[in-house]
Amino acid sequence: MSSKHGGRGGGGASKGKKPAKAGAAEEKREDALQAVILADSFQDRFRPFTLETPRCLLPLANTPIIEYTLEYLASAGVQEVFIYCGAHSEKIETYIHDSARWNPSSILCPFTSLEFIRVSDANSIGDFLRDLDKRGLIGGDFLLVHGDLVANIPLDDALARHRARREANRDACMTMILRSAGVEEHRAKRARGITPTFVIDPTSGRCLQYEEVHPLQSDHYLELDPAILKMPEFEIRSDLVDCGIDICTPDVLALWSESFDYELPRKNFLHGVLKDWELNGKLIHTEIIEDRCYAARASNLQMYDCLSQDILGGWTFPYVPGNNFLHGQTYKRVKDGARSGSCFEEGVLVAKKSKVSKSVLGRGTEVGSGTVVSKSIIGRNCRIGKNVRIENSYIWDDVTIEDGSSVIRSILASGAVIGKDCQIPPGSLISYGVQLGEGTQLPAKPIPVISLLTHDGEPAKTDVSLVGEKGQGAFYEEAVDEDDEDADETDPSVLQKSLLYSLDGLNLSSSSISTLASHDSMDSDDIDSQITSLQGAGDVTPVRSRLSSFASDDGAAAAIKSDAFHGDAVHGLLDALRADDNGDFDSAKLEFMGLRLANNASDSSMRRAIAVAFARRAAELLTPEHGGLEPTKAAEQAFSSKKGAVKFIKEVGVGAEKADNQAEFALALQKALLGVKSLENARAGALLAAMLQKLYSLDVLEEDGIIAWWEDKRASGSDSMDKIKEKCRVLVEWLENADEEDSEEESEEDDE
Amino acid sequence: MAPARTIYAPSWEKLEKALKTQPLEASIEALIFLLKRRQLHGDACADATASILRQVVAKSKWHDVDDLLVQVQKAGSRLAQAAPHEPVIGNVVRRVMGLIRDEATESRNADDFGSESASDIQSLAPATNPLVPVPTTRPGPTPIRLPTLASTTSFHVSKSMFNLLSIADPADSVAGSFMTGTSTPISQAQPASVHALRGEVMDGIDEIIDEISQADDQIASFADIQIHPGDFVLVHQPTPTVEKFLVRAAAKRRFTVLISSLSPPQTGEVPYAALRKKLSAAGIRTINLATNGLMAYMPKVNKVIFGARAVYQNGGLLADSGAYTAARAAHESSKPVIVLSGIFKFCPEDPSDEASKHELGNSSSTVSYADGSTVDAIEIENTVAEYVPPNLVDVYLTNL
Repeated sequence: MSSKHGGRGGGGASKGKKPAKAGAAEEKREDALQAVILADSFQDRFRPFTLETPRCLLPLANTPIIEYTLEYLASAGVQEVFIYCGAHSEKIETYIHDSARWNPSSILCPFTSLEFIRVSDANSIGDFLRDLDKRGLIGGDFLLVHGDLVANIPLDDALARHRARREANRDACMTMILRSAGVEEHRAKRARGITPTFVIDPTSGRCLQYEEVHPLQSDHYLELDPAILKMPEFEIRSDLVDCGIDICTPDVLALWSESFDYELPRKNFLHGVLKDWELNGKLIHTEIIEDRCYAARASNLQMYDCLSQDILGGWTFPYVPGNNFLHGQTYKRVKDGARSGSCFEEGVLVAKKSKVSKSVLGRGTEVGSGTVVSKSIIGRNCRIGKNVRIENSYIWDDVTIEDGSSVIRSILASGAVIGKDCQIPPGSLISYGVQLGEGTQLPAKPIPVISLLTHDGEPAKTDVSLVGEKGQGAFYEEAVDEDDEDADETDPSVLQKSLLYSLDGLNLSSSSISTLASHDSMDSDDIDSQITSLQGAGDVTPVRSRLSSFASDDGAAAAIKSDAFHGDAVHGLLDALRADDNGDFDSAKLEFMGLRLANNASDSSMRRAIAVAFARRAAELLTPEHGGLEPTKAAEQAFSSKKGAVKFIKEVGVGAEKADNQAEFALALQKALLGVKSLENARAGALLAAMLQKLYSLDVLEEDGIIAWWEDKRASGSDSMDKIKEKCRVLVEWLENADEEDSEEESEEDDE
Repeated sequence: MAPARTIYAPSWEKLEKALKTQPLEASIEALIFLLKRRQLHGDACADATASILRQVVAKSKWHDVDDLLVQVQKAGSRLAQAAPHEPVIGNVVRRVMGLIRDEATESRNADDFGSESASDIQSLAPATNPLVPVPTTRPGPTPIRLPTLASTTSFHVSKSMFNLLSIADPADSVAGSFMTGTSTPISQAQPASVHALRGEVMDGIDEIIDEISQADDQIASFADIQIHPGDFVLVHQPTPTVEKFLVRAAAKRRFTVLISSLSPPQTGEVPYAALRKKLSAAGIRTINLATNGLMAYMPKVNKVIFGARAVYQNGGLLADSGAYTAARAAHESSKPVIVLSGIFKFCPEDPSDEASKHELGNSSSTVSYADGSTVDAIEIENTVAEYVPPNLVDVYLTNL
């Protein structure tokens, strides 16, 4: 039976040279469900434990995490499994090989094939998936999961709906399984660190936009794609727990291959694909699990904590200790006053005068009298002394805790030894083999992370002041390496490294995530009208309730948005204008337009940016360092030195040939000159006059436009504005009297 | 177009199809995990256990009866341990083991009872057996069964059932050591008879499988005797057995059914919609109620019916949780409680093991996980099965 499995991969590889076109193969293998497990996340959130053991082999309720994932896949009827391993790949392979249940050559293995794929130079999940695309092992729809998944969601319905959608529309390429965690505060939500925000069309389940927010970012705004506001209804949900189960078609892999720089499946890939929806036309749907099912990833230490508690609470049923999924496990529920709700394996010795509640104890563990254990998970062969207090802690195998110590909300890895009367404060991470001498009181701050190894895997020098005379281990410090950008305080990974969720000591701005920004080109009226129309559709309640933490605030968002665009645009244009070579202005124009599209800047913000750029350039030319030109010369130089610049102003800066637009541009110029610090008002006025005259002679501005500006009230708001404006009186009066002949004469200069 | 929905999730039906081709170990393992994942529960467990044990008899290598018994016992105890919440599995294993011993004893005692007439031979007697090889060293007539009990029964529930109930021999206990079994001189059976024994045992197991599958129908045949016109019948979480019973009664009688279930599902769908549809098609009125409102309806109710998961030696039973409340309420109002249970659910055990009796289910079926504050604040133990003491039960209806 098992002999035919070997040939499977080879056949797939030769077949899949052109995975995008492997339509025939797809139909043929439709009935075998495939799954890809990403067993490395390229993160260091579980350090220092992951220095020695890959994340997916860390024990979760005394069972390696990957067991839950594989068991889930088996329960979903997956036939072929591919495991991508990164760090410690040999350990994962050995583990699977030694397992009677998962070793693919064992007749007990529920999968027809289970293959490991090693990618030597992978640095991200993106690299894995691009590699998978190249291999062409995937025939049809497949499941993409992470190696740290715990779930009990039945997938048949989701798969059937995914298939139906794909048959209706070939571009429906992916279905994400998400789980609702309610509107209220929830431990599973808090533990995420980053809050994923999905914009979803509730009728079809299509995901329209994906953003991530986290408490550390400086601006608490989300921007909606204006296209979304045209949808009849949509939901913005930040209450979803992303459990990382994706039902994908091979198209998804092709999309990964197209974008060589995507690294993360959500932040990069999902965000990018949805953003470029108009380009690629791919639809991504969601399946939202509201209740009765469970799914979560042990994606960080807080999620590990949350998952462990959920397992103790029976939420992950049937994957709970009493069910003994792992071979050799013999957990049994204990029903007895002082031990209520606990699960003991055979051979557990618990002294009579101890209290063990809501806990899981592995084989051979002994608990001394007077000890109190609550909501904790203790591995096999642990020795817990007398009068020990253990609360909400996760203690792996072969740990010794001597009399009188207390362990609260901490993780003690295998082989750790805690001496007598030690205090382990909340959040501590005690790595493999660490020994704490008698009477050690670990400091509560900074949160103790103690390891025998340093971040590069070298043995650490024992810090006697920390672990006591007879102790072993040192404070573990994360490598502060080249990636300085990531290490700054706004990086949400800070939140995910600790076992405790804490915002203490982090530089937080006081405002919460309270503002949902729409785009600056959208008036608030538009949103209001959208909401009313939603009300009309009778579906405003879900939108409202889920948006409870969002409120519409337009102005602030617009300011922030255009600031970003403005700065970049002005900078880019100035650089182009300053450039010595007589090159074309086209590239600058291209860049500017690109920037505009990227930020979706409005006409007015473009106009402002162009006016500021040219005004600054002209003002710069007046200064002695740049030649100290006269205003007229400077204006001439600024506008005409680069080929195409005039055309650019005319087309982009001013826009349609209307007096209004021209007046706006003139006003923008005036304001821009006012903003140049080194320029006194009189000189600025002279320069403005010169620039306006130049633009008039270049046919960019017409009499009507300039006169409209002159009469605009906004142009004479303050003293300084008036002073600048006054200088142009001559020009305006001249214009008002100007003859046709003049304009004819000057128009010859156009050709430059 | 609605494409034929592909079911990927493993199920007993799929496994059953693959039984013949799959290696035995793989089948056992697959069944164990079906049980652990609760992808298989209720009466289907009994059927599945019998089918797997049939494969054990057919496929495993054994040279004498002891060997076979060891194999069956091993496989059986693995299954029973995988699902301590399904005592039915242990029952089936015990019956199969009893069957094997009977067959072996029969062939051993063939000499002594050789003169017995063949008329006592039950329907699963060697008549259907291709009993070609006669034990070589032991010339004699065709082996026949122990006739002591056979003559008392006209139906074909195998006599091992009675042995099981009357003796409750500790050697029959699945979890117990097998050593006591070897003390009988069964091992004298000769290799040549192995083939015959295999065939006989497999036929016997087929009988058990038939019995299990027919139990519901046989119980349902009592329906119109028990349910009278105009009755108000309260059923608690109707099992397939109860559903069949009601539907059968509906063909002849007009009555009202009150369906009580634990908690209304959060999804908003009507519980037991399929049953309600069937009953209303027959002109039966159905009312859904929650268990906590049961007592108010009790004066109106004429009888309470529910299905058992297992019946213990003392007459108590294991049933879906909420059954105790229903039975207690009925008891207080002096209404009869009728329990439907196939004979294969009768366990020679006392309800001593508290933990396995109170099977825990998924917490999220009582509280939504999305309700964050509740999840943090309370500990949930969702017992899906509970023990109903014998004094609360008035009538057992079996397929006997």
